Amino acid sequence: MGLLCSKNRHYTEADTEENTQAAEIERRIEQETKAEKHIQKLLLLGAGESGKSTIFKQIKLLFQTGFDEAELKSYVSVIDANIYQTIKILYDGSKEFAQNADSSKYILSSENKIIGEKLSEIGSKLDYPRLNRELAEEIGNLWKDSAIQETYARGNELQVPDCTNYFMENLQRLSDANYLPTKEDVLYARVRTTGVVEIQFSPVGENKKSGEVYRLFDVGGQRNERRKWIHLFEGVTAVIFCAAINEYDQTLFEDEQKNRMMETKELFDWVLKQPCFEKTSFMLFLNKFDIFEAKVLTVPLNVCEWFKDYQPVSTGKQEIEHTYEYIKKKFEELYFRSTAPDRVDRVFKVYRTTALDQKVVKKTFKLVDETLRRRNLFEAGLL
Amino acid sequence: MPMYQPSSRREVDSSQVLDLETAVKDGVLGGGGGGVITTAAFASDKLDLKIMIEELESMDVPTVFICPISLEPMHDPVTLCTGQTYERSNILKWFSLGHCTCPTTMQELWDDSVTPNKTLQQLIYSWFSQKYLAMKKRSEDVQGRVKEILENLKKIKGQARVQALKELRQVVQAHGSAKKTVVENGGIGLISSLLGPFTTHAVGSEVIGVLVSLNLDLNSKSDLLQPAKMSLIVDILNEGSIETKINCTRLIGMLMEGTDFASENIASLSLLVGLLRLVKDKKHPNGVLVGLSLLETICSHESVRSSFVNVGAVPQLVELIPGLTNECLELVLHVLELLSSTPEGRLALKDCPNTIPNIVKLLMKASENCTQLALSILWAICKFAPEECASLAVDAGVAAKLLLVIQSGCNPMLKQRSAELLKLCSLNYTTTIFISKCKLTRTIQ
Repeated sequence: MGLLCSKNRHYTEADTEENTQAAEIERRIEQETKAEKHIQKLLLLGAGESGKSTIFKQIKLLFQTGFDEAELKSYVSVIDANIYQTIKILYDGSKEFAQNADSSKYILSSENKIIGEKLSEIGSKLDYPRLNRELAEEIGNLWKDSAIQETYARGNELQVPDCTNYFMENLQRLSDANYLPTKEDVLYARVRTTGVVEIQFSPVGENKKSGEVYRLFDVGGQRNERRKWIHLFEGVTAVIFCAAINEYDQTLFEDEQKNRMMETKELFDWVLKQPCFEKTSFMLFLNKFDIFEAKVLTVPLNVCEWFKDYQPVSTGKQEIEHTYEYIKKKFEELYFRSTAPDRVDRVFKVYRTTALDQKVVKKTFKLVDETLRRRNLFEAGLL
Repeated sequence: MPMYQPSSRREVDSSQVLDLETAVKDGVLGGGGGGVITTAAFASDKLDLKIMIEELESMDVPTVFICPISLEPMHDPVTLCTGQTYERSNILKWFSLGHCTCPTTMQELWDDSVTPNKTLQQLIYSWFSQKYLAMKKRSEDVQGRVKEILENLKKIKGQARVQALKELRQVVQAHGSAKKTVVENGGIGLISSLLGPFTTHAVGSEVIGVLVSLNLDLNSKSDLLQPAKMSLIVDILNEGSIETKINCTRLIGMLMEGTDFASENIASLSLLVGLLRLVKDKKHPNGVLVGLSLLETICSHESVRSSFVNVGAVPQLVELIPGLTNECLELVLHVLELLSSTPEGRLALKDCPNTIPNIVKLLMKASENCTQLALSILWAICKFAPEECASLAVDAGVAAKLLLVIQSGCNPMLKQRSAELLKLCSLNYTTTIFISKCKLTRTIQ
């Protein structure tokens, strides 16, 4: 065609084609910007090991297609790593405690000592062997040693992860040659998040798709990760701040001198004061309630400086409720103290969660969704 | 000329319903197609007219049934020779006072006999019976419906639950008998149990709407006062429409009265902030009144006051003062007075620039109570920071107002307080300067 046409006409045709292409691109950009506006940005924030990634996984399981076989398989090495790391921490811990007073209960039997040394060696490398029957049995024996159990009882002084008991109880299954992790295994698996991960989803309610589109961002919680947070702070609809309430007697992974609850307190305060969160809704997830429940009657809250004025009033379930309400009140006070008068109208709600329990997460998210929708209606003047 | 033939004719047979039906159909009695009355109603004369009249108080009784003397429905209507009908006892009393006239027509009576108006008596009885039975049936229907809804609520979830609760709320608000039915069938416990950590706003707000219309006993109140449920009620208050906010506020008020509670557990910061938001909403004066009442109740407990000041209550309440009704003014002033009893409160009052001008304006304005409370607050601030506040107060024209109080007919305590405050304010000035600052000419005007 080009050969027969005059030079002028050729250019005009090319121009028009370019123009239509440009127009098409413009139109697409405009459409997507409009669509973007309807996407609500949710940010999972919190200190390390507060449960952010677990919530992230739960949302994936609830509102997306969940984990396919390849993804599940990818967790095998993670779980293996968790097991080796944990048993190493416990073994090294028992040696440390054995050096102090009342040391006899931290001394292992001679066979177990040999196993311990071997596993400690494995755990210190960068590459872990796949868990097999033999290793699983050895780890199991070591785990059952009373010295290790005594060490585990003082786990808050070490950096023992919360998934310890779960994995140790399931060693047989996990060491199977054809092991494929279950959903629950994946939820317990612990990886320190680095960088940012996001998913987009639409909550499926009673009336099927409710029309809301959320984009959920998960971040690393350790100190060195937090400088990456600031890039995400623009245009956030809601911050889901996770605080593990069982950690009042534990110290940070990245700073063993600092109490975890105090770190969370300061972090929450810092987040509340961020200028871009002026109109952002805050959902505080007081997480790991199951572990908290088991611990709070034996370990007094006052070990944490923030809770030093706590007075127990009763026993059993009532006391557990009372301590929970106390902690909730402390966070509430912190919220109002850190919130300037012009921001007092932003939404602030506290939820009691156990991120590992899918039912709880589903119900909690339903409430979060309802609140955010009502907020939207309110801001649109329709409420 | 006798217009009326005293009838010794046939007695109206009590089992005949012809007259009433026709009369009703023709709309004479305004009953609009009231339908057929069952003969059973007549047979059982157990339906006492007096009781029926009492229970149907609110009904619009047709005027022909009303005695012109007492303006009450007639039990024993009698007709005079003028054709006018009255309640027997009333007209006889009229005669006993020496009158020989017909009270409505003013005619002189040529015949002082009174004839029982059986027809009218029958009509009155039928009309009331009919209305009474209909009401009873409606009530039973309502009761039946309520029981049905309560049974349903045990099983259904989600949207259906919300709908059922909505209906229950409407029924309870419209029919007094429904409330009793709910209480008698364990309704309070049932719907209170729907308030839990995972209750949605939709369900929660409806539950609260029902609860607020009922009489809650002490057990129910203690149950609802549990921290988890209270948190939920406060959350709903903060997120709800104005109607929901008012319901929540009223419910919390109900729970607080008559119970011995540890207020620091109930009055969470979220509640206080939520109530402040409610009372600032001038578009909804009902909300303002209800909110202020609850704040007054809460602040009567010492332990809460400093927290309340810390969430910035004082400047917000002070800003609220201009434009409030007298009732609300008393409440606001009372709250501020309670807050002024704490050091933080006094500081906040002093720091807020509009405190003194707004409060001085209220002296001798709304009511004696307001004046008393205003005086109390001014006294507290001026005692706390005399140098700053005295001059501000004088600039705001407090002196003239105080003189007014002293000269007025208020109780002696007030006058004394005013005198003391006046003295306090005048301490830093010489007499002449003070008098000039007083702008006394205004008082005279």
